[in-house]
Amino acid sequence: MALTASAPARERGRLSGLDPAPFAAAAALIAATPLFAVAAVAAFGDWSGGYLTHIAGTRLPVYLWNTLIVALVAAACAGAGGAVSAWIVARCDFPGRKIFEWALVLPLAVPAYVAAYAWLDITQTAGPVQGFLREASADGWTSLVPVVRGPVGAGFVFSFTFYPYVYLLARDAFAGQSADAYDAARTLGHGPVSAFRRAALPLARPAIAAGLALVVMEALADYGAVAHLGAPTLTAGVVRAWSGAGSVADAARLALLLVFIVLLVFGAERMQRRRARASSASGRRRPARRVRLTGWLALAAIGVCVTPLLLGFAIPLARLGWLALHAPVAQGLGQAFLNSVTLAGLAAVLAAVLGLGAAYALRSGRPFAVFAARAAGLGYAAPGAVAAVGVIAILAAMQGWLDQLWSGLGFTHFPILLTGGIGALIFAYLSRFAAAAIGPCESALQRVTPALDGAARTLGAGPTEVSARVHWPLVSGGVATAALLVFVEVIKELPATMILRPFNFDTLAVIAHNYAHDERLGQAAAPSVLLALAALGPMIWVARRIAREPVARTLS
Amino acid sequence: MRTRALSILVAFAAAAATACGQPGGGPDVVNVYSARHYDSDRYVYAAFTEATGIRVNLIEADGDLMIERIRADGARSPADVIVTVDAGRLYRAQAAGLFAQEHYGVIAPGVPEHLRDTDGYWVGFAKRARVIVYSRERADASQIANYADLADPRWAGRVCVRSSSNVYNQSLLAALVERMGEEAAEAWARGVANNLARPPQGGDTDQIRAVAAGECDVALVNHYYLARLANSAEAADRAVAASVGLIFPDQDGEGTHVNISGAGVAANAPNPEAARAFIAFLFTEDAQRAFAELTSEYPVLETVTWSNEPLAALGGFREDEMNVARLGERAETAQRIFDRAGWP
Repeated sequence: MALTASAPARERGRLSGLDPAPFAAAAALIAATPLFAVAAVAAFGDWSGGYLTHIAGTRLPVYLWNTLIVALVAAACAGAGGAVSAWIVARCDFPGRKIFEWALVLPLAVPAYVAAYAWLDITQTAGPVQGFLREASADGWTSLVPVVRGPVGAGFVFSFTFYPYVYLLARDAFAGQSADAYDAARTLGHGPVSAFRRAALPLARPAIAAGLALVVMEALADYGAVAHLGAPTLTAGVVRAWSGAGSVADAARLALLLVFIVLLVFGAERMQRRRARASSASGRRRPARRVRLTGWLALAAIGVCVTPLLLGFAIPLARLGWLALHAPVAQGLGQAFLNSVTLAGLAAVLAAVLGLGAAYALRSGRPFAVFAARAAGLGYAAPGAVAAVGVIAILAAMQGWLDQLWSGLGFTHFPILLTGGIGALIFAYLSRFAAAAIGPCESALQRVTPALDGAARTLGAGPTEVSARVHWPLVSGGVATAALLVFVEVIKELPATMILRPFNFDTLAVIAHNYAHDERLGQAAAPSVLLALAALGPMIWVARRIAREPVARTLS
Repeated sequence: MRTRALSILVAFAAAAATACGQPGGGPDVVNVYSARHYDSDRYVYAAFTEATGIRVNLIEADGDLMIERIRADGARSPADVIVTVDAGRLYRAQAAGLFAQEHYGVIAPGVPEHLRDTDGYWVGFAKRARVIVYSRERADASQIANYADLADPRWAGRVCVRSSSNVYNQSLLAALVERMGEEAAEAWARGVANNLARPPQGGDTDQIRAVAAGECDVALVNHYYLARLANSAEAADRAVAASVGLIFPDQDGEGTHVNISGAGVAANAPNPEAARAFIAFLFTEDAQRAFAELTSEYPVLETVTWSNEPLAALGGFREDEMNVARLGERAETAQRIFDRAGWP
């Protein structure tokens, strides 16, 4: 069921529910306009410097190579770790499973640059591990300590911190899977591993691909971690064109190149989904039964779940916490916590609404709606700082326009859009993270087959009732996942928050960044831990919702 | 459909606008956009409010984004004072027309000529020196006195320095370009890149730690990172600081390269009087001392006395008296040289 999915043309007429086009249009408008502004900056900016030819002849090949390595390492590790842990949690039973269910999402709450700072600090020659070995006169061993640096190191850091995207989406998919395929494979003599690989995995491929697309986009758009670890990707090139050469236009041009690469990733993911769809139509459903793990198998399962938690969460934060013991505590954390949670909560709810609307638009199959929903996915692709410039440009243009309109009507100036409140920030968040909300909503909505709509309508339910009583119970888990993703994204978000926030308004991410950037890791510890704590509540809530969800049973 | 989308947009805009309180007005407020985020600044802002009754509204953001933001806000920008941590950024903000012309000789008397803009767009209030740190154990201090020595093949495989994307490396190279021309500066950058002990990683503190741990023998860093390690509450940090020595380069030549934190009154400042008062306050004894004692920067006013044992222990030095505005003019050239020289 989960994958029989989108409606063939002849069935479109039978789909029901809310009219999704306005949501998709709003999502597209919010998400794509800043990017168009960036394109305008790129096109109409100064072309005279010859920076692009200069960079193409010098650093660009290195940027592209690093980008490739970072993306591959991040995708491979996050894909494997995310998918395997998701399957174990969704389909097996072992001690601690209920805790791992939500705890596995925790590393997502650690900003990648914070993890990068901590890991380089731990593993470098001057770090505690090599220092301990030297003190123990085991100098020969120091060369065996893998220093987390360069493109491979950055890829690893991204895989620790972003694998929860894969985990979240794949867990949802595995949980909703019928047991038939897996059981059949077992009956045919495949062991559990082989059955996982040959039967369960292919059915979850669209979800894993969607998660991987998010991982790769995040990794490509990151600046802080790659700059610190000495793995300059294209995003580092974008920032360098801007900060070093002072050319916003050239930065925008390089950013568009990056967006183009991301579009390719997107395209690959789409193709992947389409192919998987064709192969997964299946009729009868049987509720999934968890495989009971005992003894060594249970230990192995716990190991699989604990490892990413250690690498992405416990070890980096423990290192920061250790450093924090000797550092004064950062000021204003309480207010920053409230600010962060408020912003993230607001943005999460709005993004989930937009995402669900866009997902419905995709399902409707109407060309305009589909186009709009796809366009909404673009905002995620640009590096945060460049996206922030796009938002600034849009708001400035709107301000000028409204000022004119207002004075034409005989009033004085229109109130300032940018500085006053959090409206500009919410706009920036939605434009950047709408894509993260669309994915989970879309894959959840694929559970709602047109036949289900038809059945409900035949039984006399109106469109609203179909949405509320048939669709919502099926998609609410996906929508909650979408909201959670956006919540965590927003709580970590940096460049837009920094530049669009009102006066005297700090968030946890801003404080953590200020200290880490100033090489005071110890003082970055408290805000970083609070970040994770702020995300903890929503994570547990979503995990419970999804665990409770009667997906497999309702549809059997 | 289209009208509905438009109405959503307008509703959003209106909601955003009404949600915004209107900051900026009133004689008792100054709106500061700062690229600095130090505890010393908090102290100075609080002291300013206490002394004048003027409240400080603060936005802290990285320099480039800040410039874009104020530029986009245009005539409606609420910014009164713009503060950056790099002369290159001041130059860029000035080029974007973000500063008003002021008489900083009057607002901030006693600031050396080379630390303020000759046209009166901005003024430096604290200095940071780019210095060489060496291992007391493995490096012979007599063999290194100048930036040029870092390019000497004698130091092949022994130099640690962070990425050339870092603004302080860029400003140093800009100074060298101004001093010795593009070709010689490029040869220097190539030489340093060839001497690197490892690909650039981490920040300045990481370079100092690497020297102490034996990964390299000399490093190029900003002076206050060493002072901070020496000031640390952690014994291990103090041990790192004790194991390295510091050289102020080019003492027999042009002097050690310094960069500034600087400020200027914004072109469209709604509260220009408060802005001037704020900037003037940065040059009071109290504020100048705070920069030296809380952030280990050098005050720009020579007359100010301060007590910061580790900072004083670094010793006195002669600084390059080239006007720091040149750093901005040469920034792009410097960056292209780094690209060509293969300094990552």
